[in-house]
Amino acid sequence: MAEPAVQVEGLGKRFEVAERGAGLRAALRALVHRRVRVVEAVRELSFALAPGERVGLLGPNGAGKTTTLKILAGLLYPSRGQVRVAGFTPHLRKYEFLRSISLVMGHKRQLSWDLPAVDTFELNRVIYDIDASAYRRRLDDFVERLGLASIMFKPVRQLSLGERMKCELVAALLHEPSILFLDEPTLGMDVSMQLAIRAFVREYNEERGATIVLTSHYMQDVSALCPRILVINDGALRFDGTIEALTRTIRPLRRVSVRAESFPEDAALADWGRVIERAGDRLVLDVEPERVPEVVSRLVGLPDSRELLVREAPLEEVLRELFARPDDADEARP
Amino acid sequence: MAAQLRLSALAAAQYRVGFWTEGVLAVFWSLVGIVPLWVAIDHRGAVVGWGPWELMVLTGCFAALSSVFGAFLQPALIESMNHIRRGTLDHVLLRPADSLLLCLVAAFSPWRLLELVFGLVLIALSLARLGVTPELASVGVALGMGLASVACLYGLGILTLCLSFRAMQLQNLTYLFEALLDFSRWPIGVFRGLLKALFTFVIPLAVMTTYPAAALIGRADVTTLASALLTGAALLVVARLCWQVAVRGYTSASS
Repeated sequence: MAEPAVQVEGLGKRFEVAERGAGLRAALRALVHRRVRVVEAVRELSFALAPGERVGLLGPNGAGKTTTLKILAGLLYPSRGQVRVAGFTPHLRKYEFLRSISLVMGHKRQLSWDLPAVDTFELNRVIYDIDASAYRRRLDDFVERLGLASIMFKPVRQLSLGERMKCELVAALLHEPSILFLDEPTLGMDVSMQLAIRAFVREYNEERGATIVLTSHYMQDVSALCPRILVINDGALRFDGTIEALTRTIRPLRRVSVRAESFPEDAALADWGRVIERAGDRLVLDVEPERVPEVVSRLVGLPDSRELLVREAPLEEVLRELFARPDDADEARP
Repeated sequence: MAAQLRLSALAAAQYRVGFWTEGVLAVFWSLVGIVPLWVAIDHRGAVVGWGPWELMVLTGCFAALSSVFGAFLQPALIESMNHIRRGTLDHVLLRPADSLLLCLVAAFSPWRLLELVFGLVLIALSLARLGVTPELASVGVALGMGLASVACLYGLGILTLCLSFRAMQLQNLTYLFEALLDFSRWPIGVFRGLLKALFTFVIPLAVMTTYPAAALIGRADVTTLASALLTGAALLVVARLCWQVAVRGYTSASS
């Protein structure tokens, strides 16, 4: 069996965070006496990722996703536990390890702000010791796929957010890393740019067999890219599996929507399922899986029935429900 | 390192107005730097055994060191401190290269190299006025002293950078550093008591300018060179160890 691309056992990371109250008096007091609080950003995390997997790391703000990614990328030293990435201990930051990974962060850039992106690409060519012909071939390929030809020579500060992120991806992938960490890569982007980046990442994974670990607050990113998700909350793993498995565990009800000229009274609808929305000619119900055929046939029979849709509950709602449950609720445990 | 330095040079030349303004200012400050020298020469008095033209050699050495500081070290320190504060040091640490070296060439102010030219010309003119033609051995000792001088400068710079991992917004320290460096315009003998101890054991100004100038006018020997090189090497080793500890405690910045 192939060695896991990522192996994490009992990982923990604690930070000391300086705190002070509001106002001038607290600020002055803090100059003399600083109050420090220990924060357990990651408590007890264990998982393994196979080479070539695409995995989404999900969790609310402050759950420990970015900290975990930074530990995997060798930026932070773990407080406890064992981490192996591509066969290396990340925090030792060996040359071969750094050559085999890349971390793209939606909120930070590696591109030189005042210069055209192509200058940073050239810097990376030298630093990663990329053969000139391979560099040219990969750059041409990425530029064509992402449609960057017209912006390659514009200073980075003049690029749009989406253009900049495309260039960040190119800078991160020129050395063809076998493991790619993506931290909110589509942050603040419009839908078409999100789609372009998702498609590019998927192609990179499929063509190069690279392992992808993605964090994103856009659930569409995760559901479109990641067959497997790891859900982290409060620094601990709450779920490890497919989105479907999570949805069926947390929210087994199917969401059925339809448009029709008129609907039965609420009391009658309550017998079919839970009414989520009833507005004008649109009705949305949550229905027990085994009752879906029956309810669908009734909905089809409504006057001018159209646009009938049956789907699982949206991932956002599933996660909200998961996070609302106590940590020791064991139905979502891997 | 060369590639990063090239990128820093490109960034420095990106904006035409800024670039040429820097140039004009550099010429202006180099000329202003001569004014105290005219005063010193006018009085023609010796300072702790250093005659006016010997002091000029010392000033030339100071200008050269100040140039290295202003062109390479200071902008790189400020840029790297900003990286640490904003968490963008992440991208430096992720590159498969020595992160400390990348930090030390993170930015570049090319016009400050004018001071280096000014310093070298001043040294040559002063030596000519002194009637000193340095022997090959003296030039070798002076170059060794210069190396030790730059090693001390960078060692202190790296220690300052390490401090900024623990305490943010320390950019002003680089200006304090520059102000302290200004004391090395004078031979180390002018300082007494605490200041002498400070500039000998904490900030080795003697190694940084006095010794190289002394070597050029034939006043330094191999023993002094050895002690200077040892001081520079020791500072660099301590600085490198501090860097490793500092990076280990790097917390990045939240997303």
